[in-house]
Amino acid sequence: MNFNKSSLIGPIVSTVLVVMLVSTSSSFAQSAEEKGLEIVTAADRRDSGWKHLTSEMEMILRNRAGKESRRRMTSRQLEVEGDGDKSLSLFKEPRDVSGTAMLTFSHGLDPDDQWLYLPAIKRVKRISSKNKSGPFMGSEFAFEDIGSPEIEKFSYRYLGEEACGEGYQCHVVERIPKYENSGYTRQVAWFDKEHYRNIKVEYYDRKNSLMKTLDTFGFNEYAGGYWRADRFEMVNHLTGKSTTLLWTGHDFETPMDEKDFSQNALKRLK
Amino acid sequence: MKTWFISIPCYVIMSLLAGGPAAGMEMRSTLDLETRIQLQDSDHTEQYEHHYAIGLETGFNHSVNNGDTIFTFVPFARWDSEDDEREHFDIRELNINHASGDWETLVGIGKVFWGVVESNHLVNIINQTDFLEGVDGEDKLGQPMLRLSRSFDQSVLTAFILPGFRERQFLSVGTPGALPFRVNNNPVYQSGSGDDHTDYAIRYSGYHELIDYGVSWFNGTSRDPGFIFSGTGELIPYYPQINQLGIDIQITSDAWLWKLEALRRNFNSNSQVPVDDFTAWVGGFEYSIYGMASGLFDLGLLAEYHHDSRGNRQSVPFQNDLFTGLRFGFNDTESSQILFGGLVDLDDDSVNFRLEANRRIFTDARISLEAQGGSNVDPGNIGFSLKDSDFVLLSLELYF
Repeated sequence: MNFNKSSLIGPIVSTVLVVMLVSTSSSFAQSAEEKGLEIVTAADRRDSGWKHLTSEMEMILRNRAGKESRRRMTSRQLEVEGDGDKSLSLFKEPRDVSGTAMLTFSHGLDPDDQWLYLPAIKRVKRISSKNKSGPFMGSEFAFEDIGSPEIEKFSYRYLGEEACGEGYQCHVVERIPKYENSGYTRQVAWFDKEHYRNIKVEYYDRKNSLMKTLDTFGFNEYAGGYWRADRFEMVNHLTGKSTTLLWTGHDFETPMDEKDFSQNALKRLK
Repeated sequence: MKTWFISIPCYVIMSLLAGGPAAGMEMRSTLDLETRIQLQDSDHTEQYEHHYAIGLETGFNHSVNNGDTIFTFVPFARWDSEDDEREHFDIRELNINHASGDWETLVGIGKVFWGVVESNHLVNIINQTDFLEGVDGEDKLGQPMLRLSRSFDQSVLTAFILPGFRERQFLSVGTPGALPFRVNNNPVYQSGSGDDHTDYAIRYSGYHELIDYGVSWFNGTSRDPGFIFSGTGELIPYYPQINQLGIDIQITSDAWLWKLEALRRNFNSNSQVPVDDFTAWVGGFEYSIYGMASGLFDLGLLAEYHHDSRGNRQSVPFQNDLFTGLRFGFNDTESSQILFGGLVDLDDDSVNFRLEANRRIFTDARISLEAQGGSNVDPGNIGFSLKDSDFVLLSLELYF
């Protein structure tokens, strides 16, 4: 083979030029989709590695006339690498459902596995997880609003920056559900620029009108740098109803593993 | 009854402990007040009979070792204004359960549920059914047991040793749901050890993707008695020894739940009443439509077909029968529910209806309505003996 210097240098120079051009153009003109994904990926990364969490939750349901009813439950969550999280909810009040428990293995875009435990007859019943848009315990929170927030469940678009919540400066990201049976065409989520915490969400129904707004308050930082809000306020603009979630007793310490999220564990809960 | 003398002091002591020194003890009670109106229309006159009844069940739980060891005591009592036989007391549970790694042990009186189907509970055999409480087969008498479970990744193997047998109780003639004959309180057992016979059972259950499954085997005293006609016109319950293999499967796909339960029951030879080994199965589905009427309620459609190889519609209630039902689950804050269903015997077109409706009232109470009736019941059908048992039951359950 007869190597010619100039014929070798030419392609190298042009390759370098092309690479430089492509990389600079992409950093200058990062698409809104890429920027949106970047924000939620950063938020996800900051909230990874907590492993397990036990919390107490109180729910206050308000109808249009302001009449209140209360729910109380214990929630357990287990972080699962490479799949959706596992969760266990044990209902305490109202007392007629006390002891009823729900076990959920979430799977991102695939349907979740879900079991319900009925303590009066000691029955564990596998239930359909199709009812994503249905109300959780009669509240303004749908099942899909309280599910494990996996990145792959939505496509994203960056909308900009603005002030939000209790004096935060926030990134605003639109997210469109990719999973089936969602009650929403899209959601708009606000993340604060400092810690990437989800401060606010607007939910748009299937007709694309603003249906609900979620605001979160009272963030506390726990060991390992994990932030949790202690109050969620969901308002339904279409019905005038609202629901307050109050979280207490966040416990990241007490160890739990897969065995604590089994059907046998479901029957053991008291 | 001896158990009264033990249990009332137990109840008092546990209540005092729950209120005072034993921190971590949880106490949960359900008090129900019911009135039942019997609709009789066969004996020439239309007549309404009222019953009033009160039931109290209290659950005491005490967890230690971060929930790995749990003490449970659940006494239950029923008073009835009309039927002395229906008044009863039972220890539903009195046990210690300990979990350690992959192993779990329960010692004491316990309650177990197996199965997936709604209109009959075919494979669920560990506990005797408390028919004094209802005809749906979901109320159970406490069963003494030693239960040992070993968990695997997505399955559990459980072995039971069941020392002692609970005989079935029968309502007085005339009470809705009662047999038309007096039943003798001294049953006959095939086993020489009578109600002290020790039974055994093993179950392997688990899930894989969309499928939940269970395979079970039982050896011991049948929970269902046969009957011997005595000279005095009474029925004497006869409990044979059996071997039973059961399977239950549910496939959960989208909004469909596909269900199957099947059993094979073999009797020991030399039974005093004529018995034939038999196979029975029930298969069907439950399909849910969510958010009907702009999210007002979810609608469930149920259909379950029952088959029994004995084929005798005079003695077997589910020999060739089709159950269809509608379940309304309302999305209101009172969690209102309505279940309406009918069981049709495909051999003679006899129909049995059942309606259940309930909702929460005040903060911690529920009010419920239950109604049951027969239509076009053929004289050759087992349901004919219950044809005067149409009733409406109203009850208020208080939870505290």
